[in-house]
Parts: sequence; C-alpha cells; structure tokens
Amino acid sequence: MRLSRRGLLRAGLAGTAATALGGLATGCAVPTGSTGRNMVLWYWSGGLSPKVVQNAKARYDDSMNLQAIQIGGYYRSKLMTTMTGRAHIPDIAGLKGEDMASYLPNSDQFVDLRTLGAARYRDKYLPWKWDQGIAPDGSMVGFPIDCGPVAHYYQPAVFEKAGLPHEPADVSAELDTWEKFFAAGEQLKKRLPGTFILTDALSVFGISVNQSTRRYVDEDRHFIGDQEHVRTAWDRAVEATRRGLVSKIVNGTPDNISATERGLLPSQLNASWAAGDIKLNTPRTKGKWRVAQCPGGPSNIGGSFLSITKACREPERAFELITWMLDAENQAQGFVDSVLFPSTPASYGMSELREPDAFFGGQITMDVFGPAARKIPVAFNSPYDIALGTPISDELRNFSVLGKDPDKAWKDAMSSCRRIADHVGVSY
Amino acid sequence: MATAPVVETHPAPLAAAPAPHPKKGVLSHWRLYAAISPFYLLFLAFGLIPVGFSLYLSFHRWDGLGAMEYAGLSQYRYLLADGQFWSSIGNTVVIWALATFPMIFLAMVTAVMLNSAVRFKNVYRFAFFLPNVTSIVAVAIIFGSVFSTNFGLVNALLQAVGLDQVAWLNTPWGIKVAIATLMTWQWTGYNAIIFLAGLQTIPGELYEAARMDGAGPVQTFFRITLPLLRPVLLFVLVISTVTGLQSFSEPQVLLQTTDNNSSFAGGPGHAGQTMVLYFFQQTFDNNDFGYGAAVAWGIFLVVVLFSIVNWRLVQRRGED
Repeated sequence: MRLSRRGLLRAGLAGTAATALGGLATGCAVPTGSTGRNMVLWYWSGGLSPKVVQNAKARYDDSMNLQAIQIGGYYRSKLMTTMTGRAHIPDIAGLKGEDMASYLPNSDQFVDLRTLGAARYRDKYLPWKWDQGIAPDGSMVGFPIDCGPVAHYYQPAVFEKAGLPHEPADVSAELDTWEKFFAAGEQLKKRLPGTFILTDALSVFGISVNQSTRRYVDEDRHFIGDQEHVRTAWDRAVEATRRGLVSKIVNGTPDNISATERGLLPSQLNASWAAGDIKLNTPRTKGKWRVAQCPGGPSNIGGSFLSITKACREPERAFELITWMLDAENQAQGFVDSVLFPSTPASYGMSELREPDAFFGGQITMDVFGPAARKIPVAFNSPYDIALGTPISDELRNFSVLGKDPDKAWKDAMSSCRRIADHVGVSY
Repeated sequence: MATAPVVETHPAPLAAAPAPHPKKGVLSHWRLYAAISPFYLLFLAFGLIPVGFSLYLSFHRWDGLGAMEYAGLSQYRYLLADGQFWSSIGNTVVIWALATFPMIFLAMVTAVMLNSAVRFKNVYRFAFFLPNVTSIVAVAIIFGSVFSTNFGLVNALLQAVGLDQVAWLNTPWGIKVAIATLMTWQWTGYNAIIFLAGLQTIPGELYEAARMDGAGPVQTFFRITLPLLRPVLLFVLVISTVTGLQSFSEPQVLLQTTDNNSSFAGGPGHAGQTMVLYFFQQTFDNNDFGYGAAVAWGIFLVVVLFSIVNWRLVQRRGED
C-alpha cells in the first residue's frame, strides 16, 4: 500500500515535471513564424483553388516546403489571435474582403508588398481591387485574389410569362435602373400572384450602399451614415417593401428553396459566387436561369486577398509564390475550380472562362460579370463600418419584417449610431 | 516564509524530541504539493489568467491586434446604458423560462412513465437520452426546417387543425418559442433520466402504505413522489439555469441565415439574441474586445444573481 502510494506520487511528480519542463522548453523555443524550409499558408475552404495550391507545392518544391492549411471556423478571429499571441504565425495569410478594414489599421503586422516590388504587377489587376489592399498609411497589405461583381440572376421563363423582357441583353438594357426594376416587380406580382422579385429588402439596401463611393465612416473618422447615399439606399429598400415587392421568406430555409424551384422567387441580386450557391441549393432549376447586369450599376460583394506576415522569414520567396498563384492563368483555374471570380482582367478572355454554362442555359456568363467587374466604384472601408452599419440594417429589418414605422426606425438607427460613434471614438 | 505556525501543527508526540528542523515545513510536503499541482497549473493557465486578463481588458479599448488604450470605466458606463444588452438579458430569461418549465413537466411525466414501464425499459431510456448527445448544430438546422413558414412541420400541423400559418422565424415570439422548443426537446430526456434515478430511490413501502390508507395515484404522486423528489427537482432547476443562461448555439445556428451581416444578430429585432450571442457580436463582429470583456463581466453578474437566488432556494428547502 505504502509503496504504491509512493509510486503514485512519484509518477504524478514526474508527470508534472515533464509537463512543466516541456512547457518551459517549448515556451522558450516557440517560433514566431515557421522554421527551416517551411512556408506556411493559411486560407479557408474555397478560398483558393485546390489545384493551384497543389501545383504551387510541386513547382516550388526545391526551394520551400509549402504547407497550405485550411483553417475552419471563424477565420479572422483565429488569425488575429495567433498574431496577437506572436507564435506560429503563418508566413502567408489569406484575408477575407469583409475583414480587410479591420486588418488595414494594423498594417505593421504585415510586410509592405511595395518593398517587394508589387508595383510591377499593378496594371495586371483591377485597379479598385488593388486599392482595397492598401492601408491608410500607403503600405500594401493584401494582394488581390478574387472579387464578387453583383449581377441579376433571373428565371427567363417566369419573366416571359409575366410579359417582361427575358433575354439577358434585354433585361440588362431595360431593367437598368432601380425604378425600372421595381416597376418590373410590380408587373410580375400583378400577372403572377404570389411571385416576388425580391426575397428580402436588406439586399436592396446593401447593394445600393455598395454602388456608392462612400459607406458609413470616412477617412477622418467621421460618421457619414446619415448622409444622402445611405438615406437613398434606405428609402429604396423602404419603397420596395411598401410596394409589396418583397417576399416574407427567410433566406436559407426550405421555404426559400421550394419557392425558388417553383418560380415564385424568380430573381436574385447577388455576387458572382452566388451562382455556386444557386447550383448547390436548387440543382433542379438547371437550365432555367440567366444572368443580366444589376439594376443601378455595378457593385461588389466579398473577394479576398493574400498577405505576407511580419513573421515570414523569406518574404521574397513568399512574394514570388503568391504572385505566381494569383497570376491571370491560375486565377482562371480558380474560377473553374472554386468560382473565384478573377481580379485579373486578362483572365476574362481565356477560353476556360468563356465556356457556355449549361446551368444558365448555355449563356457565357463572363459577358455579364467581366464588364461589371471593371466598373466597380471604390469606397473607403473603415474599421468602424461594421459597428456603425449594423444598427441601420437592424432597424431596416425591424421595418421590413416586423412592420415598424420606417421614420421611427430611421430615427432610432441614427440615435444608436450616435451612441456607438461616441463610444468607439468616431465623430458624429 | 513563516515556518513557525507549520511547526506548531505537528502532533504532540514529537514535542518531547528536539525541535524539528525548520526545513520540515511546507517544503517537506513538496511531493504532495507537486502531486496536486497539475490541476492548479492548468487552472492558472486556462482559468485564472484569462479571467484576470478579461477584467484588465474591460478597462481598455482594443481591436485585437493593435495597441491597447486605457479607457477607465467608460466600457461599463456604456454597458449600463446599452438597451441591446438589457434586452438580451430579457431574451435569455424569457427563452429560459419558456424552455425550462415545460421541460420539467415533460421530464417528470416521462420519468414516471419510464418508472412504470415493464418492457424495453433500457430501449426507452436510451431513446430519451439520445437528443442530449446529438450535435446541436445538426438539430438546429432540422428545427429551422420544422419551423419554416410555408413548408414547416409545425405550420402543417397548425393548418391541419384549421389554424393560420405563423411566421415562426420572423416574429419576436415565434423566434423565442422556436428556440425554447429546441432546448426543451434536447433536455427533456436528460432530465427524465435524472428524475427516474430519483424516483427509484423512493422506497416502495411508502407507496404500499399509501395504498393501504386508500390514496389514489394522483394523491400518491402529489403527497409522496413530489415531496421526496424535491432535491432532484432543485438539482434539475439549477442545471437548467446554468445551461439556459449560457444558451448560444441554439439561437446562433437557428437564426444565422436571417441576417446577412452578422450570424450573431439573433433574428429580426434581435428577438433571439441571448446574452452570450450579444457578447460574441460585440467582440468578434465589431472587433471591440474591450467592450466584449465588459459585456462578459455583465453576464457574470447576471449569473451570480441567479446563483444566489438558486442557493437561497436550496437553503430554504434544506431547513424544512
């Protein structure tokens, strides 16, 4: 008994010592970034073409050991935690477009790509996309991966039955303004009761804000969400709801899928990558869709970047790798594999991208997305846009879903914004 | 190091011998301390230090990556005036109540039925426990379908009995009921098993005596079963308070598609935004780690309050 207890104690002790020493030892030796020939790349599922990653691994095999890791879950949060922890930081990190505003103020965490000669590549990429990767201090943080030009997806058979234009060229030409789009929605609803041109009002608001060159907070940390461009977007969404053009269906529910299949929601305003979602969620609608230009002009949703972190020991090699992975040819591959819409206009003419798409009735969708991608307005993305944009879209939802009075909703949104602006140090 | 008091604690027989060496103090027990240390080291690393850091953080502004900026008590001042935080407390409590009381009732009924079941006892027990070990994400996705407006199971039932459709995930009460139903479904079986264990500790003689005295089944339940189950009932209440106040995955997965900006918004009007969801939205959507920490401490105070209420409840029962 005594012996076994002592033995137990000893074992416990040894275990503790081993843990403590081990912890201590690794604690001293935790590498900030990777070591040796390793080149660690963080991205998320669908963020890069698997084939391009594989080819890059083979191509640079003699100079580096590329470890491309797909990070699941809340990507930004994991990357930021790792950077703050200053241990095991990836050499190359993917940055999602919607998160850029929160990385750019901390550009000192990344290698300024200008120092590696990024300027040489500038004219090969969409100018607005290139500028989105540049921090307010002028340093270049993100190298463009893809973008998400917004288009009008619609079901021509339903449009035809409602007496609306139904050829892509006609829809682009005749439904080019919001006013004409809403009028078409009214006609659609009148001719085919129970059919709605919009699933929810928020998309009109979001796209309208993206069509402007300004958002919620400007470069001088001043709140501009109370100005004309946001108010116009708000009024437009309110008008669509009031005219009865918006369905009551919740996105992502079986209701939504079923209504889409039955042609009750024959229209969607969404980014290029949404084509993948439509194909995945409603495979039975194959051949029933076409793509046209979005009413009110081009805009963008999403699209990401690659960056080189300060922990990278060989930035030159990393830069060589990313410029190769994101050249026009590989971006075309990315579109074919993962619907990553290229930020390199040279890709748009390549034969892989000009394949007729059977899901869209044999339409060459690039004819719509390509021109849209070139004309996207550049807006300043502030790190405070999320905090100050949320109350406005929350209140818009209170109006459109819960039936709150829109004037009251706008006033409440503005008073929340005033409180939040004051709290985060944005002038109102 | 004060060695004297330690020496004094040594038992008397040693007193006659020359005073023990001062080294025979705390250090002489180092093996014991070493043996219990893993827990404390882990607790220090993953419990105490993060808790301390979150307190420190709540007095600062921090975007998670850049430099921290001292903010004094401003985060807490903002928290007190934050209507959305208060309404998230309200949501949490309402959802908790909507979920817990039906759940306790159903669990009790199930347990009594299981207790008197003759055949396939273990099959039933297993079946009732299953929801509790099913992935909450999968469950929430299925409940999203069950509560969808046009093709949901619930509305199909309502229409079958001649009632109108309810836009469950589009109305404040519908959202709360949907989340509560999900939680009830998930926890009823678990608590029924606990009640069952409690039922089986009640001696059969008591029931026999009651029967002899002419008590019916209802009387037996209220006069014998329920009073003797009180401690178990309180345990179930405490556990469901703990889980109910932390509800996060249920509303998050159920309502994430209702909002295209934030998956932590909790549906239209934030009707399903619980305290922990609100904490996530402030911290990770807005990158406002200082305020997130303050919200976390706000949640802590609410939980403390509930714990005190629970504790008083248990104490009073103990005195009976």
